[in-house]
Amino acid sequence: MAVVIEVLGWAGKSRKRFRVESDEVTVGRGYTNDIVLSDPHISPQHLRLNATDQGWAIEDLNSLNGVQVVCKRGDIDGVFASGSEIKIGRTRLRIVATDHAVEQTKLLHRLELESSRLNRLAIWLPLFIAVFITELVAIYVTTAVAWEWKNVIPMLLGAQLVILAGALFWALVGRLIRHESHLLGQYSLLLLATLLFSATDWLLVTLNYNVNLLLFGEHIQRLTSLAIVFVLFSANLALATNLSVRSRWITSACCVGLLVTIGLVVEMRRWGEFSPFPEYSSTLQPPALLFASGRSGDAFLNSADDLFARADKSIE
Amino acid sequence: MPTLTRQSLSLCCFFLLLFNTITAAADVEVARQLFAENRSAILQIRLIDLTSGSKSAIGSGFAIDHNGLIATNYHVIELAASEPDQYRIEYLTETNQAGVLTLVDVDVINDLALVKAEQMVSQPIALASIEPEVGVPVFALGNPLDLGLTVVPGTYNGINTTSYYPRVHFTGSLNSGMSGGPTLNQQGQVIGINVATAGNQISFLVPTARLQQLVVDYQQRGSAVTEVADYIGSQLQADQQQKMTQLLAADWQSIALGQAQVLQELPPFVKCWGGSNNTNSKAQFLSAERSCRSEDNIYLNAGFETGILEYQFFWLEADKLNSWQFYAVYENLFGDFAPGNRATEDDVSEFHCDHDFISSASQRQSKTVLCTRAYKDYPGLYDTVFLQGSVDNSDKAFISHFTLAGVSRENSLRFARRFMEVSQWR
Repeated sequence: MAVVIEVLGWAGKSRKRFRVESDEVTVGRGYTNDIVLSDPHISPQHLRLNATDQGWAIEDLNSLNGVQVVCKRGDIDGVFASGSEIKIGRTRLRIVATDHAVEQTKLLHRLELESSRLNRLAIWLPLFIAVFITELVAIYVTTAVAWEWKNVIPMLLGAQLVILAGALFWALVGRLIRHESHLLGQYSLLLLATLLFSATDWLLVTLNYNVNLLLFGEHIQRLTSLAIVFVLFSANLALATNLSVRSRWITSACCVGLLVTIGLVVEMRRWGEFSPFPEYSSTLQPPALLFASGRSGDAFLNSADDLFARADKSIE
Repeated sequence: MPTLTRQSLSLCCFFLLLFNTITAAADVEVARQLFAENRSAILQIRLIDLTSGSKSAIGSGFAIDHNGLIATNYHVIELAASEPDQYRIEYLTETNQAGVLTLVDVDVINDLALVKAEQMVSQPIALASIEPEVGVPVFALGNPLDLGLTVVPGTYNGINTTSYYPRVHFTGSLNSGMSGGPTLNQQGQVIGINVATAGNQISFLVPTARLQQLVVDYQQRGSAVTEVADYIGSQLQADQQQKMTQLLAADWQSIALGQAQVLQELPPFVKCWGGSNNTNSKAQFLSAERSCRSEDNIYLNAGFETGILEYQFFWLEADKLNSWQFYAVYENLFGDFAPGNRATEDDVSEFHCDHDFISSASQRQSKTVLCTRAYKDYPGLYDTVFLQGSVDNSDKAFISHFTLAGVSRENSLRFARRFMEVSQWR
């Protein structure tokens, strides 16, 4: 009777499989064994599996560290049915019969089918150039001193390094969990999110400048940023893990929740703290972005009664 | 010829020196005499913290009648006025006799207070009825830094005409602890009450007339002030009303700043200063500024002062910057305005702000911000910050700003209306 021995890794994932076409299988560090493992805590001749009708009997060959039972399947004492797990040294093994049922095939998500397309230089390069140019333009329009490349390049590279670090992180996660890094894909995703983030930020600031909704505008800005982060996380997870769509969304929602919590904790110290300085909207944009028309100075000052009333109310 | 000149010069110096020695000797004699005659009339005023039983603050004071009435500065006894349950006012005579004082009247505008002992503590000092001539030697008395009674000779330089609240300009060194002590003329009469210093030899006194007025008010009322906060509130209200009426009735002249017209100096309320970055060779844009500020602070407590008026104008030109870069600089500057007076959470609310675009036939489109915070102990008074910046030109900009501290809503808005009319870039 053939047996499959799976060496289990992180989270019970199968790391390595051995198939032996024999009723008697020896496991150990010595090269004479049917299954040779390299864990130094395993004895040269550690154990022998003897096939029975209902499974396998495990015979400890006087090993130094013995055999631990992690999970025993089957009802008969001393007989381990297919799917049982044991631990020898620091290595977890699953004993599986060749007719053992496997999990249902998972449907590939559309994004996963596209993922190989994302993982191409032809996608990454234009995105990279677009982000690079956006960044350069952003620096240029906010620089009021003489343009010096020696000041600009560190700023540019700094931003790019942060994005690259993010891409490397997700590639590493992918390599560990799925054995696929998708570095360019992850990089492209982050670049895309950066572009989206810059564009919405700019749009919202301009909108807020024109329509005068200070608080509301700030909230919208935060919500959009969180939405972008949520979508980005889901996409990163899709490339780097085998999570189902549902659990991916839950995971990203948790990550966004974590970010919100961190943000709140950082801000919490400032809650209720008195500021002797006025906090007002100081946004000013070039006339090209100004669509709003003004009202008369008198109308503005006439409505200031409400402002004084608000100040009065706050000290009651 | 050259030798002669040198000779006459050295002769001159000699005479000056001699003359100086003679007058200095005369001053020393007067100072000695004044010190000997009045030493017992100058008291140390101490604020005793009831929990620790120790003195928290000291100043000086002097008797002004035979019934134990003593004059000092409001800022000396302020802790006892705001926290009567936590502080006691005591006096200490030159012979180390101590006693308790009660607060009977204050004038926060002129930083004066009247306190009263149970009985006569010392011989009163007479208040001078006429103003001395500018240049005469006068002598400040007090307890600087708790070092014991000290006499500081100096010169009377008249009543400062560049501030709204009258203050005697005294050329002599006042130090902390001398606050509330008298400055005497050569006849030993009080010509002012020591109040503030502005550094090297420049010091200020409250004119005696203010003290006389306070004494008259107190005598007419005939009893001690009870609700001190309300009383101070009504003084602040009346003062801002009078000051703003006078200010708004004044002739507001304008002066050019760049292409804009801005409000000229308004004596005696504010003094103006200006500057620009024209000489800075690295500057990428042009910035010219004019800042006007009153030097009249009304002391309310250690963290809170009011009575300030300031206004400021900026003219900016893009020069080497494109409009995006120019607006980034402009935005930075626009976001950086704050009121010029100090206040803490115990004194005022947070600022509340409104903003909107303003434009009319006569006015360029501009972003206008109005912020205000209310006084907690003095209802009906506010600190108001106004800020306006042009938004319709891509390579030029004009900012105007004012802060009014301790002013009513009506007066703040009347000032804002007038300010917007006068300070404009048409």
